[in-house]
Amino acid sequence: MANKHDFVCINCPMSCSLELTEENGEILEVTGNDCKIGKRYAEEEFKDPRRVVTTTVSVRSGSLPMLPVRSAEAIPKRLITDAVKSLEGIVVDAPVKLDQVVLEDVAGTGVNIIASRDLASASIQPNT
Amino acid sequence: MTPAGLPESAQVVVIGAGVSGCSIARELTKYTPDIVIIDRESDVADATTKANNAEVHSGIGEKIGTLKAKLNVRGNALYDDFVSGLGVDFRRQGLLIVITPRTLPEEVAARMPRSVHDFVLKQVMPRLIMLNARRKGIPGLRMVSRAEVYRMEPHVTRSAVAGVFDPTYGMVAPYKLTIALAEHSVMNGARVFLNTEVSGVNVKDGRVLGVTTNRGDIRAPIVVNAAGVFADEVADMAGAGGFRIHPRKGASLLFDREETREYVHSSVSEFRVRGKTKAHSKGGGAMPTLEGNLQLGPTAIETDDKFDTSISAEEIQEIFDRFYYLLPDFPRSAMISAFSGIRAPTEEEDFIIGPSEAARGFVNVAGIQSPGLASAPAIVEMVMVFLHDLGVPRQPRSDFDPVRPAPPRFAELSNEERDRLIAGDPRYGHVICRCEQVTEAEVVNAAHGIIPATTMDGVKRRTRTGMGRCQGGFCGYRVAQILAREMGVPVTDMTKDGDGSWVFTTGKKTIAV
Amino acid sequence: MKKTRKPQLAVIGAGPAGLGAALAASGAGLRDVMLIERDFELGGILPQCIHDGFGSIVFKEVMTGPEYAQRFVEEIRRTDVEIMLNTMVLDMGPDMRITAVNDREGIVEIEPESIVLAMGCRERTRHQVMLPGFRPAGVITAGAAQRDINIEGLMPGRKIVILGSGDIGLIMARRFTLEGARVEGVYELMDHPGGITRNVVQCLRDFEIPLHLSHTVSFIHGRKRVEAVTVAEVDADLKPRKETERFVPCDTLCLSVGLIPENELSKHAGIQLDPVTAGPFVDERMETTVDGIFACGNVVNVFDLVDYVTHSAQVAGRGAAEYVLQGRKRQSPVKVVAGRNVKYVVPQFVSDLNRDVDFYFRVEHPERAVTARILADGKPLAGKKHKMVRPPEMLKQTTEALDVSTGEKTRELTVEVIPGGE
Repeated sequence: MANKHDFVCINCPMSCSLELTEENGEILEVTGNDCKIGKRYAEEEFKDPRRVVTTTVSVRSGSLPMLPVRSAEAIPKRLITDAVKSLEGIVVDAPVKLDQVVLEDVAGTGVNIIASRDLASASIQPNT
Repeated sequence: MTPAGLPESAQVVVIGAGVSGCSIARELTKYTPDIVIIDRESDVADATTKANNAEVHSGIGEKIGTLKAKLNVRGNALYDDFVSGLGVDFRRQGLLIVITPRTLPEEVAARMPRSVHDFVLKQVMPRLIMLNARRKGIPGLRMVSRAEVYRMEPHVTRSAVAGVFDPTYGMVAPYKLTIALAEHSVMNGARVFLNTEVSGVNVKDGRVLGVTTNRGDIRAPIVVNAAGVFADEVADMAGAGGFRIHPRKGASLLFDREETREYVHSSVSEFRVRGKTKAHSKGGGAMPTLEGNLQLGPTAIETDDKFDTSISAEEIQEIFDRFYYLLPDFPRSAMISAFSGIRAPTEEEDFIIGPSEAARGFVNVAGIQSPGLASAPAIVEMVMVFLHDLGVPRQPRSDFDPVRPAPPRFAELSNEERDRLIAGDPRYGHVICRCEQVTEAEVVNAAHGIIPATTMDGVKRRTRTGMGRCQGGFCGYRVAQILAREMGVPVTDMTKDGDGSWVFTTGKKTIAV
Repeated sequence: MKKTRKPQLAVIGAGPAGLGAALAASGAGLRDVMLIERDFELGGILPQCIHDGFGSIVFKEVMTGPEYAQRFVEEIRRTDVEIMLNTMVLDMGPDMRITAVNDREGIVEIEPESIVLAMGCRERTRHQVMLPGFRPAGVITAGAAQRDINIEGLMPGRKIVILGSGDIGLIMARRFTLEGARVEGVYELMDHPGGITRNVVQCLRDFEIPLHLSHTVSFIHGRKRVEAVTVAEVDADLKPRKETERFVPCDTLCLSVGLIPENELSKHAGIQLDPVTAGPFVDERMETTVDGIFACGNVVNVFDLVDYVTHSAQVAGRGAAEYVLQGRKRQSPVKVVAGRNVKYVVPQFVSDLNRDVDFYFRVEHPERAVTARILADGKPLAGKKHKMVRPPEMLKQTTEALDVSTGEKTRELTVEVIPGGE
């Protein structure tokens, strides 16, 4: 039986409402798109939607208590919550360097969580 | 400021740390240090007083023959002495009463020929106001021509007909005044207990023995009931009641100082004669606060809830509508805050001040609504007569300290003074509230004051953090962190204004140190 | 007596605008540039914007806010720009005299040869949008919540209602959710989202957070802490309809109801402000109505896109350098008019028609298949077709040396969006 899935294209201000029809995982049709970017977007969002995850982790002896972190690449959307959960107990020691790995292979994605800034130790001015 | 537990006894217990209670307590400490002030809130001035709109009326609006009128006029005259030594700003900016075509009720105006109406507005009304002032003993009023109205206040409606200037009218920040009075009392021996709610007044054989609170009993031969909107309930506890406080809400709007500085120079109000009752209603006014913000209000709305400090959309609209007429170009978009408080009128609409027959030693200071702030010095004078009769020594203390030093306010200092302060304490060089230019040192001072600030609002009332155009968006977490640090508690313990008003909750992440 | 500092340029604010301007001025040959920042580190608001989406125009890659800031911070450290942290500018007079304060030097008097204003913007608060009700703890602006959570590690609440669907509100809906709070819904006064579609999809749809268009909060309940809000649909005049009111329990009302350029200092300096943008009138070099004072970034108008902030900053920084080094005198400026379906245009004036000019503008309402174009005295100069234009997305259009091409003196420029496009 064919199933329909709705998406909103994010690639330009048109914000096309897309409808993707599939049967047993096989894409039959995308409608509502104004251009081919929209079609490709709907297909990706159906087959393997991915997002870059950004959050924070705690820092020990840092000039600030929290460190912003990100996934080095986009990870499957369905694993966002798992990824964020697996970071809850983590405390990194200052100083921290940009791109420093905070957690390897988050939620079995093969993607690392990395620091998205330098963070100095408490006694040092952060970025001068 | 105060020991952890309640004392067993005191010569006088004052119930209520609003402006009335603290005024009386401060005066009492001139004769005896054995004074205890208790209040149910987490700070002094934390109920009706904090939302008072700061006017020290001359008495022009009060009905001749009332206690309110008498104490208002007397209180105003005493004000400079009253605030001296407290480190609190008081400014007699005057009130411009404007007569407009709306001054007489429509149904009255409609019955007059136009020329008569014009004559009444222009010639009769100002003289009526002058006469009214003279009868009450209010000094200094003068009639102001239409041209002079515009010269004084260029933003007033072109429909204005005439005016009267009332020069003794002034403004004082009610919460600052009350904090100063409480601190001055404590400097002179009084003790203040907050978060302390009276549940009973102990009376035996027609004499007051003391009070029962949520934190224990205090024995005292004299109890002053300055409990504001709850004064009726407290009086009933002593069997000294028989009156009802019916709460009446008053809302005011506050505007961005940067956009409204000198929009008005004195306070301005439109004189309107109420149709049915023929009572004079000032209906609030437009006023420049001591800090230079335009303030509009207050409203007067009956409510049945003594905690109802909400503001409805209709109330805001009502204020706008009223002032669009008087000040057609007031900058509506520059509104930064709206606040509302509960007045505490009795059915008779007059103050109830005096000792109880049923419970000797129990003194009511009830029904204190506007002009309670202006009347405070005179209320004190009146109450002291009773308190001396009840046993408070008549001999002034020789060791009374007349000066309560006010902590420095960075924003108001010269650069040379600022440099001197920063050299002594670098925290004066760390501005944490950008709108009001409040420094870290001032927050620290507030946290360690004689009556220490223990809440975000407590800091705000003492230092003005968060009172500017960004309303704490910039300084909120900074104030919370500094206050928590100074109090030695986690920042998640901070409240906006006492129990239940938590500011931050613990997240999923530990904050490592 | 302390010595008055006399740099060639003082930049006020070290967010993306100030960093960009200081770097550009330094790059254009100014040796004595002072960068004044009130916070304890550089970057302004960027360190708290931990989400990605920054830099696609300037760096051709997608970065988080802290990453974007760090690029500039690293670059500025390689220059001789003097950085003054923890320093608050208290006042600025019409004579370009700046009074600042910090805890090391006390009061600092600065008389620079030129100034770049880069103070950014602030958030509109509850009373500016006249939300009725009580005044409990738990009413917070989205940017303040973002700072609390991302920088300080403090959670402002557990059960959240968000009013306003501007980008910060949407971003915070996701942030609150990832931090374990429950977002009851996002309510938007207008009939279209305030933020870009990408954020509607990735911050709300991904987490099944409902977006209620044409709704507002009509009352805030709770004496001590927020206990609930009443929400309602709005009518054509954007007023709540009583019969649609609903009671939504929550402990926090998070507001994303607009940003206002921060221009108190500008006013003190006698700079004229545009009532539409709430920022200074500027010309093509981002010079304000006071000679030698330039402005860039969100202090001029709320750009939304940090890349445009950086572009405007680079123009301002170079303009300040030119002013100091060449003593540029302005010719009589030509006015730029907002034409059809254009809410406003920056710059509002063009002083020199013989160079390229970047125009930034915003439409008043969404429109499909349009051409955005620039006219000189009615003659079209440049145009670009758009499939769709929407108010949240700022448009940019560059014109080349105007008078060179026409050979005439232009009197007025118009930016308009007209039907007919792709």
